[in-house]
Amino acid sequence: MADTEKKSLADRLGLKVHSGVGNAGWGRTLFAGVISFVYFFPVLWIILTAFKTHNDALAIPPKFIFTPTLENFVSVFSRAYSAGAVAQDTGFALYFFNSVFIAGTSVFLALAIGTLAAFGFSRYPLRGNDTYLFIILTTRMLPAIVVIIPIFLMFRVAGLSGTYIGVILLYTAFNLPFTVWMMKSFFDELSPDVEDAARIDGSSDRRVFFKICLPQVKAGLAATAVFGLILTWNEFLFALLLTGVDTRTVPVAMAQTIGGDIGVRWGLLAAIETLFLIPVIVVTFILQNHLLRGVTFGTVKR
Amino acid sequence: MSTIEATSLTKNFGSFTAVRDVDLSVGQGEVVCLLGPSGCGKTTTLRMIAGLESVTEGEVRIGGKLMNKISPEKRDIAMVFQFYALYPSVSIGGNIEMPLFRAGLSAAERRREVARVAGILQLDDVLDRLPGQVSEGEKQRAAVARAIVRDPNCFLFDEPLSRLDVELRHSMRGQIKEVLSGLSKATVIVTHDQLEALTMANRIAIMRDGMIEQIGTPHEVFSKPRNIFVAGFIGSPKMNLFEGRFSSLSGDMATIELSAERVTIPVPSAVSNMQGETLTLGVRPRALEPVDSPNQHSLTGQVELIEPMGAETLVHVRDESDQDLRVVVPRHIKVIIGEVLHLACDLSQTHIFDGKGLAVR
Amino acid sequence: MMKVWVVYPLRVAFASVPAALIVSALAITFLPPSVSFWVSGAVSAFSAFLFVAYAWGRHAGGLLVAPAIALLFCMNIFPLLWSFGLSFFHYRANRLAPPRFAGLHYYEKVLSDPVVWDRLQVTAKMVVLTVSLQMVIGFLLAMLFAKQFPLRRVLLILVLTPMMLSFVAVGAFFRYYYEPTFGLVSQAVRVFTGEPYVLLQSAAGATAGIVFADAWMWSPFVMLLVLAGLVSVPKYLYEAASIDRISHWRRFWSITFPYVRSLLMLALLFRTIEAFKLFDVVFLLTEGGPGTSTETIAVYVYRVSFQYFKTSESAALAYILLFTVIVLTNLYLYFANKRNRT
Repeated sequence: MADTEKKSLADRLGLKVHSGVGNAGWGRTLFAGVISFVYFFPVLWIILTAFKTHNDALAIPPKFIFTPTLENFVSVFSRAYSAGAVAQDTGFALYFFNSVFIAGTSVFLALAIGTLAAFGFSRYPLRGNDTYLFIILTTRMLPAIVVIIPIFLMFRVAGLSGTYIGVILLYTAFNLPFTVWMMKSFFDELSPDVEDAARIDGSSDRRVFFKICLPQVKAGLAATAVFGLILTWNEFLFALLLTGVDTRTVPVAMAQTIGGDIGVRWGLLAAIETLFLIPVIVVTFILQNHLLRGVTFGTVKR
Repeated sequence: MSTIEATSLTKNFGSFTAVRDVDLSVGQGEVVCLLGPSGCGKTTTLRMIAGLESVTEGEVRIGGKLMNKISPEKRDIAMVFQFYALYPSVSIGGNIEMPLFRAGLSAAERRREVARVAGILQLDDVLDRLPGQVSEGEKQRAAVARAIVRDPNCFLFDEPLSRLDVELRHSMRGQIKEVLSGLSKATVIVTHDQLEALTMANRIAIMRDGMIEQIGTPHEVFSKPRNIFVAGFIGSPKMNLFEGRFSSLSGDMATIELSAERVTIPVPSAVSNMQGETLTLGVRPRALEPVDSPNQHSLTGQVELIEPMGAETLVHVRDESDQDLRVVVPRHIKVIIGEVLHLACDLSQTHIFDGKGLAVR
Repeated sequence: MMKVWVVYPLRVAFASVPAALIVSALAITFLPPSVSFWVSGAVSAFSAFLFVAYAWGRHAGGLLVAPAIALLFCMNIFPLLWSFGLSFFHYRANRLAPPRFAGLHYYEKVLSDPVVWDRLQVTAKMVVLTVSLQMVIGFLLAMLFAKQFPLRRVLLILVLTPMMLSFVAVGAFFRYYYEPTFGLVSQAVRVFTGEPYVLLQSAAGATAGIVFADAWMWSPFVMLLVLAGLVSVPKYLYEAASIDRISHWRRFWSITFPYVRSLLMLALLFRTIEAFKLFDVVFLLTEGGPGTSTETIAVYVYRVSFQYFKTSESAALAYILLFTVIVLTNLYLYFANKRNRT
């Protein structure tokens, strides 16, 4: 074994990317670990800040080691607005409830209507389908600001501004294009043989849909739902303009916390963000395999 | 010098041993086929020779030089892959040109080389097309062209014809053989198709479960299989194998008791000390011949199924012990289903295997 | 009703459309707005329902799309048409005065307004900077993660997380980091200069701050697409390349890159569309400041419509944005379909 090759530093770190083959080993793990840590740092720092006292959060230089406190998380939901006053309900419990309720309901509705439509688009290629699909996608690609002016006016006329129904209807429409495109990409992937066989055996379209197609796209349904939840959960501009005091969602409330006249309580804000982010991070982990399809509205499958 | 030598080559994937103790040597200008059922380790062996798979134990030498730790780039080899591995976004001509860049040739020289091999493999018309735009046969020829454009130490082929249809496979077999014979390099071809191996190889290595069962010329492995596996694997239709007991010997003729009848056949002298032991008798379908009346060399059974194969007819006969017997008879001999046949063995073409499955000679 | 349904199912469904339109028109004319909205909604829902009911019974599943189209029509298309109409009238949403016809006045005004062109330039600058930064970082990250290595999936999640976060949260993060006294950026600079550093004070700094935050958030998107391309390259091509002794440079350009090219194009278009709409991060970080140096077109439209309440002008402006996005979306779909076909 005289032929021991001299390895370059890049080799040992597993940095030679060109070939893209095989296992790069722990060297690459180390390097990627450092990069990922740097990349994730802004999120991590906010989470750390959430556990700091007010003074620690504003410390110069920044404190990496501190005594963690849950004080910020308590005061998200109930705190005193001025020194010495009694702690009051901040309404954040309501805002979190609103976020969950509005996102949940509208995603459910969008999924029901959208799955039906996706099945129609996927299985009955009528003339003009592509146009419809294009219009559907365009409504989603539009700058929110373009759509929101007339919707704002319409809601004002119909008395829907600030009501749950209005916001839920709006978000259903907001989620619908995404749902249709995602579910269509899943339906398109199913092998038509099974359905044809079922049709030949005399199953009705309804039966084919519920008994054969839906069970096969269960994972797709779940992924679409979760993606819809995240998108709705994160949405800001519609919520800013169309929710009222009682239907306000967390992003709006969060933005208002920043916009305060007096100094922002960063620890508190970090705590709100942490509570707001945790579901998203967990879900990202679960969604891993569908992430690519999700962020491209089902146009890129692999 | 173009030779390949593998000495007690072993490959483990975790606890699974894919290749065990393989010894193989390929001389200059020799074509060796690795033949075996899927999963027998033949491709892994080839990939170890190419350097695409690391060697767990043993040695690989190419041109006499130890190659174990040397990357494929530096082994100076050429390989044709099962899926051709043509670079999809490069034209056929560009694909053939690829191995030439490292050689430091000028653009004009490279073009001339490409044109030369394109001529040999009749690819002149498709050089500008992308791999996706040519036929399967042209892709295959382009892959071969890419391998022979340079002057490497040795050639490796991984199931080169498996993606072609029967007719193309037939013509490509001849073409590859012709190209290889003009090059006089050590060549290893992996295949699961025995016809391919029998026609193209100087020697065939038959593999099973990571081990080489027999290595020899096409004639040797067919006429003198070393064990039952090789006997059953080589030859189509498959050899008939009967379990029996050796009962008596007179001169060089032995009487063997099969489950329902007894036959008397000539045996090699080594059988003489197996008195009373169980053994396996092998007779190829073409070594059986229908005769009018039973004799001491014949077997008896009822015709169950007839498969015409063109020039010959394959007849399935069920004997009295309910065993399926395959017989190939010339086309002009008419048999009907249900007919009782007496089949005489060609006495020079019988094989005897002992209780461990090894050939007795 | 039942019998009619059995005999003329599709005609009933089709007849319900003009019926619904007439009912809606009557309701809008004679009933107060808050009631007429519900009446119109109910009849259009009923009409959509008829199509679905018909489709379920026969082989006409194409009509299953009716409810989705109906909802999108009510919530998106109709409002858009309405605002299209408004863009031809003098109208301010905070005044009671009825709309007066204005013709193409607002389009002329918007297209000749130097402020609009300035905001478009700001937007273009942001788009170019943030998209190119995302493409570069995303590509490098993808190269890093293209090979298998221990803990790859876990580390990948850390890098992918920013993409899934809310704009508001990201805006809030970076506001904290850019904060003049105790923000991390300022503190890091102070180590070298001894002075606190106010990033968002200068036009260049504010732009850099926004671009950095947006690129941080969306580079993982580019990475995800490029990675999909990188891992789709069949392994045997690299094996063939090593046996053919192809140089790494040529290997990248003739084997790897073609697999990534189409995805890179999709990432570029998708990110351009999104960056063109850049609103939330700007709104939360700088509110367009200092001055109007970071006021993107989306923020400007927001100001025109909800701070100055020049409804008609904003509608005209919105239509110009709409047109741009339609063109880009069309391009995107063209490339996506082309890729999916091959």
